[in-house]
Order: sequence, then structure tokens, then C-alpha cells
Amino acid sequence: MGITAGRLVARRGRFVLDVPDFRADASGTAVLGPNGAGKTTLLYALQGLIARDGSVEKPIRAAAVFARPAVLRGSALWNVAAVVSAALQVSFADAQSRARSALGDVGLAIRWSADARTLSTGERQRLAIARALAVEPQAMFLDEPFANIDADARPDLRALLRSYVERTRCDLVLVTASLADARAMCANAVVLRQGHVVHAGSLAGVTSARDEYLQALVAESRLIL
Amino acid sequence: MLEIAALSVAVSIVATLAAAVVAIPAALWIVHGRSAARTVVLALFGAGLGLPPVAVGLAVAFTFWRSGPLGWVDLLYTPTAMAIAQTIIVVPLIGTLAVISLRTSDDTLAMQLAALSVPRRARFYLIAREVAPGFAAAILAGFGRAVAEVGAAQMTGGNIEGQTRVLTTATMLAVGKGEFGEAFSYVAVLLGIMAVAAGVALTLQRRWA
Repeated sequence: MGITAGRLVARRGRFVLDVPDFRADASGTAVLGPNGAGKTTLLYALQGLIARDGSVEKPIRAAAVFARPAVLRGSALWNVAAVVSAALQVSFADAQSRARSALGDVGLAIRWSADARTLSTGERQRLAIARALAVEPQAMFLDEPFANIDADARPDLRALLRSYVERTRCDLVLVTASLADARAMCANAVVLRQGHVVHAGSLAGVTSARDEYLQALVAESRLIL
Repeated sequence: MLEIAALSVAVSIVATLAAAVVAIPAALWIVHGRSAARTVVLALFGAGLGLPPVAVGLAVAFTFWRSGPLGWVDLLYTPTAMAIAQTIIVVPLIGTLAVISLRTSDDTLAMQLAALSVPRRARFYLIAREVAPGFAAAILAGFGRAVAEVGAAQMTGGNIEGQTRVLTTATMLAVGKGEFGEAFSYVAVLLGIMAVAAGVALTLQRRWA
């Protein structure tokens, strides 16, 4: 299906994002760039969550994981089930069983009854991933989805998201400050700086560009691996 | 006694609900609207928190006085006039508390639900459910202020036995006559009503928490 946008302009306060064009599909597009470059603004603009100039074509059913996921008052299970039942127009009982299995997939099976607002940051992020997958999206917009997740659980969650994408051919846009996350999930990348695209293309090509931020990103990932 | 207590509760419930109908949409507009006038209204609410009931009573009594601007509607010394005065007193309180509850709730929630393909109507329902406890607390606080207020009730109702006598004005009259036993019994009932209101607030919050 694919996400396609022509020139896209969005403003948040004084900040202006101006992107000439944007494409993403199931092979995954990583959005890279230093803090304040406009990564999240681009993600919001693509989803139509903020005012924008320019049109975006994308599948109707999309799901997002925000960097700071918002949750509803109530249990983790209820949080997922309420969203699933509304988004997929299925019965609440059906939504609950889907929610239970989604929470199991992200390692929150034993925390299903906990008040979502009392979950730790990492647990909240897992909840957000479960919620996004349970909606069965045709397009996913992920904003630093693993930022607060334990290092030992990250590979499993990356694999979970990737297997969903591969199985359903779901379009994927991933905002990240981690090259490891980008490599695990995306074949392509765009690099933003001060609201403009400075590099775009295959992830491997982009990361070999002469760019201070990208070189630091690559150096850091070598240090870790 | 029963009649007096019942009128107290009835007038204050009507006033509180009328105030909520004005204050809650106003609070939603203050938090989510775009007009610059929002700040002015919020400031008016803030100033209104300290509005003395006697000032409101004076304004309403003057308005409905026989020779006043709205004298022809013949509302002075009726429960309706009392409810109008109490509504004005309570609007700023409910408005301010509702704004606070909306501001402390997660403002990215609406965006998050939209980003998960939740249809508009369900989004509205889920967010309403989220802010309901804060609104309920605001409304109950408003009822507490309305039912306990005496200055405006006296001036706009006139404390007419069997018609506009409420617990607070009855207490004042009883104290004036030195009937302390009677005064204490009115105040005891008033405190009982407040306790019930507080209990309802607490139960709702527990249930929703």
C-alpha cells in the first residue's frame, strides 16, 4: 500500500518542518536526526495529527507508539481492549481476548490488571506497543518505541514488530536515535536537521554519508556492538 | 424543618446544574479553544472565586426589584431568584476547578487515540470518561458553596416562611431571636447535607479511580 507524501510543511510554534517528499512501505523508513530536528513533527504531520500543508496518502487503519504514550484511566487490559473495540468495531469480549494476547506478546501478561497510570515508563511503552499491534494497523508510526525498554527485552520486541510488518506488509515509519533499532527494522532512512531533509535513501547509504551526527551515531553503535 | 431543608437542597441543585451547563463548556473552550478571549474569561473565573455572595445578592435583588430593570418579571423573593443568584456565585468555582482538572489530564490523549484509528465518537466518549471524575468533583464543590451561602439567599429570597426560607437564612433568623436550639438543629442538617455531598464525591472518585 505505502505512505506517500508530496511537499509537506508543518509548524509548531516557531519551528518549521519543510520536507520535499516522503515515502515509506513495509521495508521501513527510519527518521534520524539530532534532537529538535523535527522527527516527531514529521511523524505527527504524516498522521494528520497537527495542521500541515500538503497531502499524505496512507492506509486508513494506522497505529502509533508515541515517545511518551498517553494512557487511559483503568487497567492495562482495559486500555488495550477499549482501543481495539473502538478501532476495529469488534465486541468488547473479542477485544479483551485480543488485548490479553497482545499484552502477553510484549511481556505484560502478569501486569494486565495494573492501573495503566501506575506502570513504569518501560511498561507503559510495552503497553503502547501491544495497543498498536492489537489495532491490526496497515501503517505504523513509531516514535522511539524502545527508548525505556530493558536492553534484554529489546531484541524480542523488535522481532515482534518486525514479524508483524513482514506478515502483514504493514507500512512502517520509525523515529529513532538508535542505529541498532533502525537497522533491525528499516531498509531506508531520512535524516532531518532543523526541519529539512539533509539525507535520504537506503539506510546503509545514508549512514555512510559525511555528516557529523550520522558519524557519531555509527561510532556509538560500533562501540556498543 | 423538612420543607426548609428540601428547599435548600432543591434551589442549590438547580443552581449548581445551571452553573455546570455554563461553566463546563466554558472550561472546555478555555483549555481547547484558540480565541484570545479565553484568558479574559479564565481571569474572570479566578476573580469570581472570591466574589462575595452579598455582592451577587445585591446585583440580583436590584435587577429584579419592582422598579429595577427586570422588575416586571416579578421574580424577587422567589426560589427562582435565589437559584439565579447562586448560579452566578457558583459558575466561577465550577469553571476554575474544571479547567484545573482538564489541564492535569493528559492533553496528548486525544491525539494518541486518533493515532490509533479510534473513531471520533469513541474518542469523545473515552475522553469524557477520563475527565468525568474531575468534573464531578467540581460540580459537588459548587453545590457545597451554593447550599452554604446565606447573603444572596437572604436578599433575593427574603426568608419568607414556607416559600423561600432555606437552612442558612432560617439559622440567621433563629440566632437573631436567640433561639439557639433551633439554630443548632438547622446547622446540623446543613452539615449533614454537606457530609452526604462529600460522601457522594468520594464514592464517585473511588469508583472511577
